[in-house]
Amino acid sequence: MKPDSPARPSAAGGSGPPAAKRLFADYETRPAYYDEMFEATGVPRVHCRELCDALDRMQPDEIAAMQAHAERSFLHQGITFAVYGEEGAQERIIPIDFLPRLLDAADWEVVERGLRQRLKALNLFLADVYGPGRIIADGVVPIDLVRGCPQYRVAMRGLEVPHGVYVALCGTDIVRTHDGFVVLEDNLRVPSGVSYMLANRRALKTSLRNLFRRHHVRGIEHYGQLLRQTLAELAPPGVADPCIVLLTPGGYNSAFYEHMFLAREMGVELVQGSDLLVHNGFVYMRTTTGLRRVDVIYRRVDDDFIDPLAFRPESQLGTPGLFYAYRLGNVTIANAPGTGVADDKSVYACVPDMIRYYLGEEPVLANVETHLCREPEGLAFTLDNLDSLVVKMVGESGGYGMLIGPQATPAERAAYAEQIRADPANYISQPVLDLSVAPCLAADGAAPRHVDLRPFVLHGSETRIVPGAFCRVALVEGSLVVNSSQGGGGKDLWVLSS
Amino acid sequence: MLSRNAEGLYWIGRYLERARHGCRLLSDQLATMEDRPVEEIDQGWRRLYRAAHRTPLGGFLAPGEEDEDFMLADAYTMADDLTFEPDNPDSIRNCLAAARENARQVRNILGVRMWSCLNLAYLDVRDVGIETIWNDQPDAFYLRTEDAIRTFTGIAVSSMYRDDGWHFLWLGWFVERTQLLAAVLDAHLALYPTAAPHNESDWRALLRICEAHVAYRHLHSHSHRPGRMLDFLVADPRLAHSVRHALARVTETLDAVSAGRSLAVEAGRRAGRMAGAIDHDWPNRDPDDDAATRAALQDVRNTCLLLHQDIAATYFRYEIADAP
Repeated sequence: MKPDSPARPSAAGGSGPPAAKRLFADYETRPAYYDEMFEATGVPRVHCRELCDALDRMQPDEIAAMQAHAERSFLHQGITFAVYGEEGAQERIIPIDFLPRLLDAADWEVVERGLRQRLKALNLFLADVYGPGRIIADGVVPIDLVRGCPQYRVAMRGLEVPHGVYVALCGTDIVRTHDGFVVLEDNLRVPSGVSYMLANRRALKTSLRNLFRRHHVRGIEHYGQLLRQTLAELAPPGVADPCIVLLTPGGYNSAFYEHMFLAREMGVELVQGSDLLVHNGFVYMRTTTGLRRVDVIYRRVDDDFIDPLAFRPESQLGTPGLFYAYRLGNVTIANAPGTGVADDKSVYACVPDMIRYYLGEEPVLANVETHLCREPEGLAFTLDNLDSLVVKMVGESGGYGMLIGPQATPAERAAYAEQIRADPANYISQPVLDLSVAPCLAADGAAPRHVDLRPFVLHGSETRIVPGAFCRVALVEGSLVVNSSQGGGGKDLWVLSS
Repeated sequence: MLSRNAEGLYWIGRYLERARHGCRLLSDQLATMEDRPVEEIDQGWRRLYRAAHRTPLGGFLAPGEEDEDFMLADAYTMADDLTFEPDNPDSIRNCLAAARENARQVRNILGVRMWSCLNLAYLDVRDVGIETIWNDQPDAFYLRTEDAIRTFTGIAVSSMYRDDGWHFLWLGWFVERTQLLAAVLDAHLALYPTAAPHNESDWRALLRICEAHVAYRHLHSHSHRPGRMLDFLVADPRLAHSVRHALARVTETLDAVSAGRSLAVEAGRRAGRMAGAIDHDWPNRDPDDDAATRAALQDVRNTCLLLHQDIAATYFRYEIADAP
């Protein structure tokens, strides 16, 4: 792989080859959106100047070649994900954009502080709704919002989880607007993307090593170690050297590469439900030397599929009796079953109030204004303003089942309105956000594309955040959908140390 | 080691050895097409199909059909069947796909280079068909694929941690090799009885298939006596592609995985008994009694089948009551 060559002589003048087109020659900043690299005047932001200069000296072809090389290498290494419902698309790479996004130390400090605060409140909320229910009794969160949520697990009521930690790992989606950072959603069940964050970093670090070195980018490579440490801290009491496993639905799951990658990074076994069995209230895995007791399960399987005796009876993926062992306190499951009640799209609207209620603080990171169609005013507002709102289904993720009002045709909006009327509680609406843009490599040099970021937070006996994120990009011009399953790509986020 | 991982590695070994063996047979068979008479080429295909327990779609040449053009068309179809046919579970492409799928399931313990090597080998085979390789140089394709598998083994040897994963990879590999060797020797003997007047080149082909021709020449010069060649291919433990050597590796790996454990190691005992039979009974057989020789080879194949069942029941799929 070719390293960057910032000392490339200028092609202007002389009798050499014709001047190559500069990367940012046709780049136009758009005042409507916050640009991650440029001020509104078109001048690079202070922390981006060096990167901008260096990239501008490189030829777009050269960067495109590096990008293609990295993508080929992803395919060969199997750094892929699967898109459901598409024949022949079982394994696809997430396209990488080679122009890194920079975040200065001050911005990162805000993000990190906000994430810590948010996760603390969300864990307290979960302990509360599965425990005394104070927040419901005090009228801060309506009871039907919680108990009516499909992700609420009655089986978790009154159960004490190890160290009070329900959410040990989360991947929060954050976007930036002119007004600052805004949380789009908290992924508290089985958040994915961390392996792509690390793969993108590896690819960029190799190709742009000189640039990388000069920028004093904060490291993220120790994520696997921190994850293991976090999980070990959550082991059942009295277990000094816990046996940790990662539970995957199997090779056909869309995020299987990530499951495999994390198991390897942590040095733990990657198990499927059929590898585990419950005997006398303890969980064991089948090994070539006999049964071995399992203490901590980092599960990447949805609640419904972990134990057919406790949840969905027809599930083939789970381990019968697993929840029983969990109730006895003989095994830790991370994240705990039932955490989905706190990242439900309707409950999301209450998170700022949770922060105020439990912590007595103002939220560091804002929420998107959210209208709940379950409430008459919210439904009316949504239906009246469908052409300017984004409407999401409460139980869906990955960009599925979403309507982007301004981009939909009148017929699509009318059809969607019918769906909402038929089951209002299943929908929420939000204004279309002015997601920030960052320069991405397009066919003809750099062009602005919408981006978000998903940092990953770990919570064991303390909260740990690696300074980085899976930065998702809507690679299609004008698109606001960054989801990998909907044609989004990724880029590396460089958090600067100073 | 997690039982499912051990089983995955075991199957990687089996499928890769099957694919490698297939490449070897086909590259040798295609080489015979350069200068050998039509009947000999036809017999070669029969040996291949017999060893694979398969019948070609259009059947073999009937007497009188030994026409050059017909034979070429037939070769094309048969090579396609054994290399790319989706419905042939043992086609080279299917074996590589199965090895790769098993590897995908155990990637977390496989190492990036081993995975990449196998993945690339698979992608290379996935993206071509018989028409591509036939118009190019078919033997080059088989050699390239075989080389990719050898590279995989090289990376395994130089990088794998010597735990159960290592042992089960080779256990699968050598159970498969034992079975494949016994099958090809049996098929050869069925087509070329030792008592019948024999063409040396047919037997030389057998040595080449088993990568034994150079070593054999060193030991026995150019004396191609069928009985001597069979002894060499079955009972010489120094020959990497002999039944005895493959069985020795099976016993060795079974010893390693059961060391220090109170497992019912029926598999180890079974492999040991078979090795003992080759050491003691094989040299005493009547070399002219093809039926007895073929029965001995059939014993080897049955043993492989039972070994597989023992291994699965002991290490991969035991129930709580049977847990060691």
